Amino acid sequence: MTSRATRFHFADHALGLALAALYLAILVKTAPAIGYARDEGFYFRAASSYADWYELLWRDPAAAAQRSVVDAHWSNNHEHPGLVKSLFGLSWNLLYRKWHLFAEEGTSFRFGGMCFAAAGLWLIYLWGARARSRTAGFVGAMLFALMPRIFYHAHLDCFDVPIAVMWTFCAYTYWRSLKTPGLAWAIVTGIAFGLALNTKHNSWFLPPALLVHAVIAGRARIARGLARGRIRIPLALWGMACIGPFVFFALWPWIWFDTVERLTAYAKFHLNHDYYNMVFLGETYWKPPMPRGYVWLMTAATVPIITLVLFLIGAVSRARAHLVPLWDRSARAPHDSAQTDLLWAIGLGVQYAPWILSTNTPIFGGTKHWFTAYPFLCLFAGAGFDVVAAKLRALLEGGRLARVPGELVEVVLGAAVFAAPLAETIHSHPWGLSNYTPLVGGAPGAASLGLNRQFWGFTTGAVTEWLNQHVAPGQSVYIHDTAGDSWDMLHRDGRLLPHVQAAWSVQSSTFALYHHEEHMETIEYQIWTSYETSAPVHIGAYDGVPIIYVYSKPNQMLR
Amino acid sequence: MGRWRYLPLLVPIVGLAEFGAQFFFSRRAPTHDQWTEVRALVASWYEAGDLVVIAPHWAEPMARWSFGDSLMPLRDVARPDATRYAKALEVSIVGSRSPELAGWRLLRETKQGRFTLRALANPRPPVIAYDFVDHLDPNSADVRLERGTTPSVCSFTTSAPVEGGGLGGPPIFPASRFTCPGEPSHVFVGVTIIDDEKFLARRCIWSHPPGANGAIVTRFRGVPLGAKLHGHAGMGWLIERDRAVPPFAIRILVAGVEVGNVVHEPGDGWKSFELPLGAASGSQGDVEFHVSSAGAGTHVCFEVDSR
Repeated sequence: MTSRATRFHFADHALGLALAALYLAILVKTAPAIGYARDEGFYFRAASSYADWYELLWRDPAAAAQRSVVDAHWSNNHEHPGLVKSLFGLSWNLLYRKWHLFAEEGTSFRFGGMCFAAAGLWLIYLWGARARSRTAGFVGAMLFALMPRIFYHAHLDCFDVPIAVMWTFCAYTYWRSLKTPGLAWAIVTGIAFGLALNTKHNSWFLPPALLVHAVIAGRARIARGLARGRIRIPLALWGMACIGPFVFFALWPWIWFDTVERLTAYAKFHLNHDYYNMVFLGETYWKPPMPRGYVWLMTAATVPIITLVLFLIGAVSRARAHLVPLWDRSARAPHDSAQTDLLWAIGLGVQYAPWILSTNTPIFGGTKHWFTAYPFLCLFAGAGFDVVAAKLRALLEGGRLARVPGELVEVVLGAAVFAAPLAETIHSHPWGLSNYTPLVGGAPGAASLGLNRQFWGFTTGAVTEWLNQHVAPGQSVYIHDTAGDSWDMLHRDGRLLPHVQAAWSVQSSTFALYHHEEHMETIEYQIWTSYETSAPVHIGAYDGVPIIYVYSKPNQMLR
Repeated sequence: MGRWRYLPLLVPIVGLAEFGAQFFFSRRAPTHDQWTEVRALVASWYEAGDLVVIAPHWAEPMARWSFGDSLMPLRDVARPDATRYAKALEVSIVGSRSPELAGWRLLRETKQGRFTLRALANPRPPVIAYDFVDHLDPNSADVRLERGTTPSVCSFTTSAPVEGGGLGGPPIFPASRFTCPGEPSHVFVGVTIIDDEKFLARRCIWSHPPGANGAIVTRFRGVPLGAKLHGHAGMGWLIERDRAVPPFAIRILVAGVEVGNVVHEPGDGWKSFELPLGAASGSQGDVEFHVSSAGAGTHVCFEVDSR
């Protein structure tokens, strides 16, 4: 490697790291405004348990490896693998309990998840810069950061952003192994796959996706090998097969015992997952068939329009570059031994396939189900930006503005491109899931269309201040969709005053929360019947759309 | 290339247009303060018996918060349908109209800020002679269980424990209800609210039968009768949408004569029915609702008026 190339790579990493650090700082700063989602509560509990096990492992490895000890600590939330929750727990244990770097416990748990999001920007930048241009990488990373839904989920101690990043990381290491043949990247790919397996079950799609790519990209080589009786597939795939499972096994103590039974149970849990309710275009779906248009409309309604436009330009221009030479002999197909465009297209398509190919795939998690597609979408968008910038430069060169530097074109174009995603992302906070793009008329338009306004009960965070002001000692709050552990964390963080206590039924409460989801309307009506009023005393509204309502028993609001 | 070379300029234009649209749409729906400001106008138009309807429906909670129970009482918000009202005030935002009031005659209309207020008249307003839900109290009604040969009386109380609730569970069992001795707490007659197939609130008379071998009977005494009985029945959508519970039937007797038998299959939703009263119209008499089901597990809630 030349010194110039080294400097180039160093600068790339420096810029990627700077992006990651800035995003991480923003996430940490903005996290306390977001209430805790249901699943976060479950993961707080699991992560604490895992953190205690790591403590024991540090002090007494032999004791920690005992089956009874492993089961006691790792049985909690064993329907998901352990890596990310381990990081949540370690972050909490070290950064909050020991080193007191965080003032809030909840943020210290979440910090582990935020690190994945930040690393994701670094990764997208690097891949875009190496495969296309620095500008493309930068634009791709920025557009990923400025997706309102990604920004919301990036704060959480959940797995959806981590698996999007780990999936992309594994695909990236595989790509590097094609660019730089040898053992090193094959081993790294194997390790990355093991980590992805240990992040979330979306990783199960990695082997078929990469295998399809390897077969298409290396078809001539594979054919030649087969003719000689050899199987010639990229070394990285062998790495995934040989190393990945061991990394997965090593980092998830739950499967150290009764391995087959527990892995079977894990797979069955996800392959036969319950169907929860999700509203789409005014209809609540709770069992198959799920609507065919769900992924399309929800992507279009939640990803900034300009991001989608750039993605389309990038994808079409790359497809065109590959396809035109098929009928135009004067055109030359881009030489790319790693078939990067194909890999990105597979990376994108495989994430959407479950909803496009089947109406049995659940939709209850909204867009987070296909977050793994978004890094690839943004990489294509970065390539699209390059195309547009080049065309605009060419346009200027032929006119009166020929002296305008090309860099200025990119800066101005960048400002025009980032303005809306930035405004939408800032405006989405802390409502996250309630945000919709102008394509559907924003949050009011989405409400009129009958799209989901929230799930997981996280918007309790929007009314904590009100509750602190109005709930008197001795009174209690029915917390509806807030998980008990999530409510508890609001107390531990000091966001809820100690006297603001939860009630577990409407009838035993003085105040009641209602997180609006269509299928949960029955809960609101139970509040009406119990309290004998249909008038809320407070509403957390986003852009005029009611999201979380607070009711009070008549004559009980003393403050 | 020609004009096509200018096409890339569309990209920054789209970006800036989206930026502008973001600000437009985020300010399009009124805030709580604006809902509070419009209340005075709505109140000045409101007359007792009017129905206040919000369009679009998703904005209704903002109105309930700002207008309060006096303009939007629970009885109206959880109405069985809009047909019983002679006049409605439609408070409209974001250019929306209420489908419930389609075909109603416009009496007057004004705009205030982001709101359009319309007074609308029902083209065929009924005269409600009697609302059975409003009269479910011991002064007007009594309840009995019929199982075997001896009926047992269910007594009225205003201090029963408030029970039930939960997602996928029964509605709230109100404190004021007819309770049946020796029966589980869900076997009672009282006014509650269920969700219909559109997840809208429906105020109705809960009348849970005591299993497959009996009926729960509610009798209203001395009811002034119109030309027909107009009503609805349902189970609560989360209960009946899986079609896994038994159907129920409501046999309706007027002055001892059966005028109809409403059969409700799970999945029917909030189903309406109308029963002409024939010779009994214009008279006064006892009306009985005999509710039974083919098995356990069903929920029954109905509302009826005589018009």
